Amino acid sequence: MPSAVVPLPEAAGQSSAPPGTLPAKSQKQMTKAERREMQERQRAAKAEKATQNQSKNSPKSSNKPAQTSKEGALAPRRASKAADLAPKGFQGAGGQSKDVKASGEDKSAHTRGLRIFSHFGLPKPTAHKGEVHPTIVRLGLQFSEFKITGANARCIATLTAFKTVIQDYVTPPNNTLSRHLMTYLSPQISYLVSARPMSVTMGNAIRQLKLDISGTDIDLPEQDAKDALCDKIDTYIRDRIIAADQVIEETAGNKIKDGDAILTYARSSVVEKVLLAAYADGKQFTVTVVDSRPMLEGKKLLEVLSFAGIQCTYLLLPAVGSVITEISMVLVGAHSLHSNGAVFSRAGTALVAMMAKQHLVPVVVCCETYKFSETVQLDSFTRNELAPVELFNSFPQNKQQDLSSLSDQPNLQILNPLYDLTPPSSITAVVTEVGVIPPSSISSIPLALGRTML
Amino acid sequence: MPVASAVGIHHPAQTLKSSSALPATILEDPSRSLSQESFDVYASYQRILENEEIATPLAAILALTELIEHSKAGTMFELVKELHDAAEILKRRTTNAISLNAGTELFIAFVTLFPHESDSFADLKTELVKQGQKYAAEALTYRSKISELALDFIKDDSVILTHSYSRVVMQTLLRAHKQKRISVYVTEARPRGLGVKTYEALTAAGIPCTMVLDSAVAYVMDMVDFILVGSEAVVESGGLINAVGSNQIAIIAKAAKKPFYALAESYKFHRLFPLSQYDLPTHTDDILSFPRHAQRPSPALTARPSVAPSTSSNPLVSGHLPIGRSKSSTSSSQLAMTPEQILRNPKVDYTMPDLISLVFSDVGILTPEGVSQYLVGMFAG
Repeated sequence: MPSAVVPLPEAAGQSSAPPGTLPAKSQKQMTKAERREMQERQRAAKAEKATQNQSKNSPKSSNKPAQTSKEGALAPRRASKAADLAPKGFQGAGGQSKDVKASGEDKSAHTRGLRIFSHFGLPKPTAHKGEVHPTIVRLGLQFSEFKITGANARCIATLTAFKTVIQDYVTPPNNTLSRHLMTYLSPQISYLVSARPMSVTMGNAIRQLKLDISGTDIDLPEQDAKDALCDKIDTYIRDRIIAADQVIEETAGNKIKDGDAILTYARSSVVEKVLLAAYADGKQFTVTVVDSRPMLEGKKLLEVLSFAGIQCTYLLLPAVGSVITEISMVLVGAHSLHSNGAVFSRAGTALVAMMAKQHLVPVVVCCETYKFSETVQLDSFTRNELAPVELFNSFPQNKQQDLSSLSDQPNLQILNPLYDLTPPSSITAVVTEVGVIPPSSISSIPLALGRTML
Repeated sequence: MPVASAVGIHHPAQTLKSSSALPATILEDPSRSLSQESFDVYASYQRILENEEIATPLAAILALTELIEHSKAGTMFELVKELHDAAEILKRRTTNAISLNAGTELFIAFVTLFPHESDSFADLKTELVKQGQKYAAEALTYRSKISELALDFIKDDSVILTHSYSRVVMQTLLRAHKQKRISVYVTEARPRGLGVKTYEALTAAGIPCTMVLDSAVAYVMDMVDFILVGSEAVVESGGLINAVGSNQIAIIAKAAKKPFYALAESYKFHRLFPLSQYDLPTHTDDILSFPRHAQRPSPALTARPSVAPSTSSNPLVSGHLPIGRSKSSTSSSQLAMTPEQILRNPKVDYTMPDLISLVFSDVGILTPEGVSQYLVGMFAG
């Protein structure tokens, strides 16, 4: 949102002015000015949000908040119309964060009874110290409402939002960017975490960003330093995600042969790209999309694949056993990959993988190296996330009336973990941008450990 | 870079021109001079391979060093391109290119990563040649290193099962024979029958040795202490590519709970990840395919595979067997597969890593996971 940043030049001038003359007062003024700025942006964001909801955009389109917000500014008529349609209208930053808080409390109320799973619930939103950038507020909302899902999409969205935040950031006097920016970003990060637990990919990307920030030269002019950081973020997105996906597309595509029957579970952006690219290459194969409640993400994948012309079969998880003997390869995505070779992925993946292993069908996981986590995970209980009951029905749509009665039952709790852990023993190979490797060797890749950059 | 690439594009044309000017003195085998290049890698590869001691990947490395010696490339870009072209030629002209690929891949990775400290490019080339030859010379000692490592695993009075013929296994067995009492079962290893070669060499050395039919491996398994096989290549999954039959031996060994040891020099480590037998680069659609319609398809029989008129009394059986038209062979005194039928069979197979107990190599004794970690660390970094 560089166009929206009005006070930047003078702010830069202020920071370059000799410090010491009434620093406290100037800081206060600054925050006031910034607050006004923020409110305006807040309004735009809110309006934009409403238009997005209206047009039912796919979550991917919101990956470019800069572009969409600009669009909103350029079309004031549409924006104002949308603002009228928005139920609550403008509330300001405090109001919105309260919204998120309230929904968080709702969720914890729903999951309170699940004692052994209570740790899956959302962490209690802490009082937000410092100000939260409107872009982050919007992103938090998109996360908590599952408008943006998927490890890659969330990571890209976070990094893109941070670019805006960094561009809008002004180093307070008597501080250096390399030391202060991180303290400014911390509340933003904790706000995002309060909206939805952080993904491993976001954690890895933020760690890299922190490293880049602390490594920023103190003598660099502020704007240059910010631009350099944004460049680094762009490079990270390009090298570790976009380019990696292209390599994976090619490598995994080579494993698909004519006449193959590929089985995939739920929806992974990488798997989708691999299948589409292989089909565009002229490979003849069929795809079985296995799906499961409550998210039913596979429907979207099915839509994309069948639109492209690939012959598809759609079935739910309980039916896997009946078709697995006809399958030549299982291709799934991943949320994260752990150093013992275990793959953390959408709940149900482990079932599919074990079933395939049982029938000696190769299980191939498509996963970029930046999804690598240096932790060891042994089960899906210690760390997991619950799908919010309000967003995802556990019951078929036509029983809508029953749902309300069922969910009100005092003795009934609905448990929908989002992820599960596939042990390395049921994975044949992991396709990464550095090649096809067995899951146990992921820790031998220096790039995955962040020791070297590409 | 644009300059270099432009030169690179021009280069094949230059070699084409110069090939007509240069007499084919380097070529030892004129019949092989099909490719119009001044230096025939394949001929050189074949010549090097005549040396009994040199394995396929090493021969490929030495052939590529010879290529560098003869190369007129002026830049690194050109040289690497030439090497890639030569590797491609070698790959195309050999029937089983897996272990050869391991060699060419290793050498090209070495050349591209080699520090460019030399003053001139010619110096760099001589340095590369020197390094390549030094590596090959050193690699010849790997087998004794491996046999040294494997020796500790061979107990006195061991009964060992081995498959086909492998130089590193031979060296290990002969070495073990000097210090311990061992006896060896060796499979016949059809279709090439290389087990006979192993049998003769071991018997000549005084090792008690018995030939085993490939189909009798399960019979002999309980009498065996462990299995020792060589390898064509060791792949990134930690699995093994070896003469066909190794996989079934490994499966039987697993079922009988006998350790299955593979011996492999580190130049046989190959960046390849087969998901199944049919994912191997050697697999073609012809291998083990059912017979297609014969040259004389009668309209009545189009639905069925080709059936010779004489055997049409029993079309179902003969139609589904590859020996559908082997009337001539059935009349001979011994039943045997025809050469065409053998050609339709695989020459190598892939053994899954979970069937392999240990891989002995010159870099140490590795578990299959260790192999893959070594490979990933070597190439993916």
